[in-house]
Amino acid sequence: MGLRAWLEDVRDRASRALSKPSPYGLDVDVSPFLSIPEARAGGKLDVARAEEVGVNLKANAIYIQIDQTYFNYLSRIPGVEVLRIEDFVDQRPDEAQEYFWRLIDPAKDKYTALAALKGRGGYFIRVKKGVKVEEPIMACLFMSYGGLQAPHNIVIVEEGADATVYTGCTIAPEVLGLHVGISEFYVSKNAKLRFIMVHSWNRVAHVRPRTIVSVGEGGEYVSYYVNMARVRTLQTYPVVYLAAEAKAFLASILLGLGDAEIDVGSGVHIHGDNSGAELISRALARDESRIVMRAQIVGEGISKGHIDCRGLMLSEKAFIQTIPELIAKSPNVTLTHEASIGRIAEDEINYLVSKGFSKDEAISALVRGFASIEIKGVPEKVKSYIESIEKVLSEKAL
Amino acid sequence: MSYAILSVKNLSVSVGSRSAIKDLNLEVFNNTVFYLLGPNGVGKTTLLRAVIGYPGYTISSGAIYFEGEDVTDKPMEYRVSKGLAIAHQIPPKLVGLRVADLLNMLCKKSGCAVSDVAKDMEITHLLHREFGKGFSGGELKRVEIATLLAQRPRLALVDEPDTGVDVDSIEIIARGLKKLVELSPHKSIVIVTHTAFIARYIEPDVTCILLNGSIARCGDSELLYKVLRYGFKSLA
Repeated sequence: MGLRAWLEDVRDRASRALSKPSPYGLDVDVSPFLSIPEARAGGKLDVARAEEVGVNLKANAIYIQIDQTYFNYLSRIPGVEVLRIEDFVDQRPDEAQEYFWRLIDPAKDKYTALAALKGRGGYFIRVKKGVKVEEPIMACLFMSYGGLQAPHNIVIVEEGADATVYTGCTIAPEVLGLHVGISEFYVSKNAKLRFIMVHSWNRVAHVRPRTIVSVGEGGEYVSYYVNMARVRTLQTYPVVYLAAEAKAFLASILLGLGDAEIDVGSGVHIHGDNSGAELISRALARDESRIVMRAQIVGEGISKGHIDCRGLMLSEKAFIQTIPELIAKSPNVTLTHEASIGRIAEDEINYLVSKGFSKDEAISALVRGFASIEIKGVPEKVKSYIESIEKVLSEKAL
Repeated sequence: MSYAILSVKNLSVSVGSRSAIKDLNLEVFNNTVFYLLGPNGVGKTTLLRAVIGYPGYTISSGAIYFEGEDVTDKPMEYRVSKGLAIAHQIPPKLVGLRVADLLNMLCKKSGCAVSDVAKDMEITHLLHREFGKGFSGGELKRVEIATLLAQRPRLALVDEPDTGVDVDSIEIIARGLKKLVELSPHKSIVIVTHTAFIARYIEPDVTCILLNGSIARCGDSELLYKVLRYGFKSLA
């Protein structure tokens, strides 16, 4: 099957899945987004909002997309390619056929189907064999007019390479939008990918990212996801497949504000021996928000995994649920989980006050601490982005 | 010249509906390592917490004076701002808050250097750990004393620094307590203990025995050694 036939097959499968709901999250009617005639052009990037989600617009490798019409990208980093996905498909049809819609099934649910049929843009990033990049490769996905934004992202980190991809997604205030980011990541043998994604939406936005990651032998995937602002509904469940001697670390920090309905999970399937996974999530629920945290590790062979879910109730009307799942398919699997939900303990506040903090300072320090997850081996530049994001998130939580 | 830094007069304290301290009097003077001894459950922690103003410890009568000022009705925040500080017997775990974060915040207020404090208490290896998570007994106490060193208080109240602690840690803790005495403008400290292991490393000037919510007896270092030899029952 050539590329054209493959793409036709993708579209065909997608068109038959347009009414297939996701098993998780609030169901969103996608029909209005199907009937939008042409994507509206002329949207402008809100620089302040892009910077709020930590995007460095002066980065040496960057992809910027506004709505579904404006695309700008470049890479000044040797060994790092950045392209728009359509350019990748046009210029390298053989490779595209190998990577495009190969990890994610376009018929998975109505959102993947919608993206397959109506999506535009998205980045193709390749980090060449053995190349180690300290500076994050930046991406900014901005929605100025609302409607649908469905970029398709492919990242390939070749053998022995090491890189960080930082994606900030945000939207103009009050515009109604549905964002469905399709992300297929290929981490090759002994390669390492750190993927940081920061979301800052608005109170009417619906968000349905779909991510699958394949990690080769001896490879490592580190993910750090933050939802730091209001959103109407958000549902995502990235899944990572690990080969032998591979590692995955996935951290999510979810801030629920207003009437947000958030359902975020992550899953790791450990196929090879001597591999390990750690899934950490923190939910901070304010107002009337509802947050469901899911996590699943499936272990085969000799493998280890741990899930740590914690929820902080910041309002009487909020809701948090944790659903950790451990599945062993071999006696050589060791899987553990811990989960807790509660409010800030009075004793912790009093303790800090006894150390000279005001009550407000104590609460702020505890919320900040709760929202911070240590990620080992993160380059200093990335660390400073994460720290500033955590600071902003903690302030919004209070 | 000798003067009282802390005076507790006819103090009665209840915790919930339980009366824990009854009509207690004591004075802590300058240039004094003050030991408060007593068996488990006699009200030692209650007394320290009442002095610092910890919520949940209700003063039903009496008064507390710190540096001559009546602080009985003042909140904990105020008392700490005036220079009183407490090392808790069992500090809580602080989820996500690293030891370095806490010491940084304290040092910003007091002007200390986190690295110096960490070196003094031999906790450099714990700086990037979550506060209290997975610490041994000795590590927890050393970190707790480090918070006091970072606060640089005028008078430190130290609750059970030697409970559940190995010998090596006791020596380090005692070094920290001596430093707290040096840092105090009054050169004084209050140490509460029921085992008095720490007394081998930091000598008492004054020893008071707390039994059933009241001071049963006060004396010099000899009283402490008598208790160690014959137990609290000999004083009952």
